[in-house]
Amino acid sequence: MAEFALDCLGEACPVPLMKTEKKMAEMAVGDVLVVNIDHSCAMKNIPEWARKQGHNVEIEEVDDGEWEVIIEKTK
Amino acid sequence: MSGFRAFFDKLGKNKFYVMIFKNPFTYVTGAILLSIFQVVTLAVTGEPWGVSGTFANWGAWLYQLVGGNVDKWYYFSSEGAQATLARGFLDDPGTMRNLGIIFGALAATLLASQFKLKKIKSIRQVVAAVLGGLMMGYGARLAFGCNIGALFSGIASLSVSGWVYAIFLFVGAFVGSKLLAKFFM
Amino acid sequence: MSENNMEATTSTPVAAPEATEATDGAQATSIRRARAPRKPKKNQIPIGMLVVLGMVVVGIVLASRSSNLGFFWMTGGIFGFILQKSRFCFTASMRDPVISGSTSVTRAVLIAFAVTTIMFTAIKYGAASMGLPIPGSSYVVPISFATVVGAFIFGVGMVIAGGCASGTLMRVGEGFTMQWLSLLFFVVGSLIGAAHFGWWKENFIVHGPSIFLPDHFGWMGAVVLQLLVIALLYRAAMLWQKKKMGTDE
Repeated sequence: MAEFALDCLGEACPVPLMKTEKKMAEMAVGDVLVVNIDHSCAMKNIPEWARKQGHNVEIEEVDDGEWEVIIEKTK
Repeated sequence: MSGFRAFFDKLGKNKFYVMIFKNPFTYVTGAILLSIFQVVTLAVTGEPWGVSGTFANWGAWLYQLVGGNVDKWYYFSSEGAQATLARGFLDDPGTMRNLGIIFGALAATLLASQFKLKKIKSIRQVVAAVLGGLMMGYGARLAFGCNIGALFSGIASLSVSGWVYAIFLFVGAFVGSKLLAKFFM
Repeated sequence: MSENNMEATTSTPVAAPEATEATDGAQATSIRRARAPRKPKKNQIPIGMLVVLGMVVVGIVLASRSSNLGFFWMTGGIFGFILQKSRFCFTASMRDPVISGSTSVTRAVLIAFAVTTIMFTAIKYGAASMGLPIPGSSYVVPISFATVVGAFIFGVGMVIAGGCASGTLMRVGEGFTMQWLSLLFFVVGSLIGAAHFGWWKENFIVHGPSIFLPDHFGWMGAVVLQLLVIALLYRAAMLWQKKKMGTDE
């Protein structure tokens, strides 16, 4: 049940999503990934991708234009 | 001052404000709204929406600033193109529409209280921006436009050129995605 | 500094005891661990309102010069607002099916094609039946090798630069310095393209046909045919996502 962080601040689409996909593939079921983003489109497409994959997702707006997407790997 | 602050904090939590200005719209809502204004644009101006043609004019004006001259260029030889260039940046409707997009997006971000200046992070991003920008600029001139003028407006205008553009745009996006994964990640 | 300053789009940070206890995905409990308190966020709404006010003033000034300028400025602002709010991205519509298999943006774009096809044709048919020139005919352009090369280069470029023309403008407004740079080089690339345009025109574009569907299938036939193609693509997009992601939402 480890927690990982992925810093995608300053990255443009689709790099945050690609990095998230890659990182999630390396993780075990039950692990949590916290993705830091400041790209307004990634704040929509990363949660959407994760939900479609069936993972648990939360978005938290941590600052003006900065979000943390918290994904729990479920399968 | 605290009352001022409290007012805007309260406004930012208002149910309707959150729905319209804070939370993102769905993609389908965006599609419908853009379509409505695309149609309004055609109905009012007699031409559909275009973006990248104006960038060529911006290029010509920049070139003139550094002492260049495009008067002999085939691309700018038509009367319409000459008239647009002669009118100048501030009297060009296409310029105003493109600047409007920039400020409209800025306003939308600020009203959602989500504006942040995102600095370039790496040399990799610089290379991507320069190469990508040059390719889009050159490609759009050959294909009579970008995703708006050649694709969206082309297809809406029942022109087969829009569909041909779509097919090869997709092939390009496929190759671009592979390049991105290999070199820019 | 009140609690109101700490806000979240979908969740409030709850001090969950340990993430290990919340693995069943119950929405009531946060899946994240407790985190250090954040600094309060600034409220940018007043600045946003000032920008809107400024845009209205500029619009009035422009409209007094020419109504056309004012109209273009206003619709530009609206397009920018909609693009940003919906994160509508033509680049994503072509790229996401390749990268993640998601076609939700692709399908939204197809919906936009369908709606505008119907409305545009109504306007064009109306003009044609009254014997007026058909508006927007200049967007029916020749199909040639230049279209193929141009669209391909554009497709590669937009994925690398992280946005097409409208997407780049929108991100310039959102504060992405990377897109400020790509906009500058978009302009430079356009100038080079314009410089070479004569060569492309002479060798390829003049030989290419311009095909306006109603000329070949009639007004009704053209619309039906195009909507059928859009519907088939929509179905294909759903199946593609189902295959890649296991859901066709």
